[in-house]
Amino acid sequence: MDDRSGPSRRPPARPRGRFWERRAPYVLVAPAVLIIVGLRLYPLLLGVNFSFTGDGDRNGEQVGLDNYTALFDDPLFQQALRNVGLLVLLLPVAVAIPGLLATFIYLRVPGHRFYRSVYFFPAVLSPVIVGAIFNLVLAFDGPLNRLLGGVGAGPVDWLGDPDVAIFAVVGVYIWSTFGMALVVFLAGFATLDPALLDAARVDGAALRQVIRHVIVPGLSRTIQFVFVTTMIGMLTSMFGLLYIMTSGGPEGSTYLPELYIWTQQGQLNRPALASAASTVLFLIMLVVGLAQIAILRRSGRED
Amino acid sequence: MGGGVRAGKWFAAVPMAVLALATIYPLVFTVNVAMKTRREYVLDRFALTESLRWDNVDAAWNSVGMARYFVNSVVVVGCSVALLLLLGSMAGFALGQLRFRGSRALFLGCLSALFIPFQVIMVPLARTMADTGLLDTYPGLILAYVAQFLPFTIFLMTSYYAGIPAEIIDAARIDGNTVYGVYRRIMLPIGRPALLSVGILDALFCWNDVLIALLLMPSAEHRTLMVGITALRGQYSDNIPTFAAGVLIAALPVLLLYLFFQRQIADGVTAGSTKG
Repeated sequence: MDDRSGPSRRPPARPRGRFWERRAPYVLVAPAVLIIVGLRLYPLLLGVNFSFTGDGDRNGEQVGLDNYTALFDDPLFQQALRNVGLLVLLLPVAVAIPGLLATFIYLRVPGHRFYRSVYFFPAVLSPVIVGAIFNLVLAFDGPLNRLLGGVGAGPVDWLGDPDVAIFAVVGVYIWSTFGMALVVFLAGFATLDPALLDAARVDGAALRQVIRHVIVPGLSRTIQFVFVTTMIGMLTSMFGLLYIMTSGGPEGSTYLPELYIWTQQGQLNRPALASAASTVLFLIMLVVGLAQIAILRRSGRED
Repeated sequence: MGGGVRAGKWFAAVPMAVLALATIYPLVFTVNVAMKTRREYVLDRFALTESLRWDNVDAAWNSVGMARYFVNSVVVVGCSVALLLLLGSMAGFALGQLRFRGSRALFLGCLSALFIPFQVIMVPLARTMADTGLLDTYPGLILAYVAQFLPFTIFLMTSYYAGIPAEIIDAARIDGNTVYGVYRRIMLPIGRPALLSVGILDALFCWNDVLIALLLMPSAEHRTLMVGITALRGQYSDNIPTFAAGVLIAALPVLLLYLFFQRQIADGVTAGSTKG
């Protein structure tokens, strides 16, 4: 590789060499751009287009909005959308837990280094691994029910009761990902001016006041970032958990759009209907994404 | 020192310790189960295992087919990460350092792909893969992983390379290097910390994925480890210790990566939040 035998005396590049030299930036980005356009952006258009065609007997025919009508009439998809609504409601909890924990770690609670390492670990595990572990933990005769029995509470059918299962799955999701948001919060804390905090300490401020008047305003950008990334994560990375823990059951109560898409495409062979569900999920994502861009713009001006 | 904050700190230490226990216990429970015989498990699944027995791990590895799945995962993840780092660093160098027409539009185009989750494109992508004969092949899955994680890789590499002083490149150009020479001799070595961080994250993403592999590698002999675990669950629902041992095998590489590279993983995860 090393051809340093007089690099400064290298003769001027030949015309052919100069042709490629002038286009070097394009040559360098071309493979990446081709892959992203061909396998991310183009399929998106293809899928939207596909969602207006028929399945089965009507394969390839233009059917207008039929798939969307069928989609919103399907109780399973309605359940999936209701569960999305539930995720939105639980979002503040999923953000507040890591936020509070990060605050304590930042304030150097005894053992903070250890806590940071422990909390972060489940976040790097695959949802499949986490789901498999919690299949054991949440089993009817498993450790959690035994613990409940120890304090006199009756056993709960965590994954078998339609009213409970979705909360169990979302709880496991939060358990396995709060470490991610925690680390993001800690990175935000690193940009906080320590002088402000010291001043509050000297004044003898209560922890609640410190959080409210120093930490929240100072971290507004990080908090917004965590809100958006947590929401995106909830919408797009629960498939592995759902697939191994409940497969959408019991009684379809734990369906989310991503599992619905998978089921329609893979099991029921209705790709056009699945494409319509994909398009709806994309619109939800678009709203979240645009919110993020707006946030980044605003904080960019503040800097 | 204000008493308010300090009192709050000690008050918080208790729930934090409980939470740490709640985080560790499920993992310990699984390891413990994986060490038990079926008989031991049925009699008392909670008691500490009588001995560290590797029979279940051995059974999961050899007779259940985890060895095969493991090799599949290593091949696919290795190739995907190598390609991601190559293409990501090339594009990151061009977008972060070289001024050229359309560079900003290209960068934003790559960023916009970050907002297209796989679930949204999985139907047409599966169809395209089937049409081109790439369905159920290693190159097909590798291409899908590269396409999936390239926008993130480009984003991190671009912001890393953008922070490198332009004088370094100018000096190298004056020495007679072509742009390609600058990439190979200057940018690749200088980018090593970022490449390590993003490479570990990409490896984790690919290793942990189940949806893409399930969709694009349907046949049993092509299963990756995570798909293998989901299959294992159905087959070994009456033999939980072997199932737990399979889970252990799939989690071990991640645990090792975490122990050695926790800082790099955290750096990669937080890069988007502090730069933007």
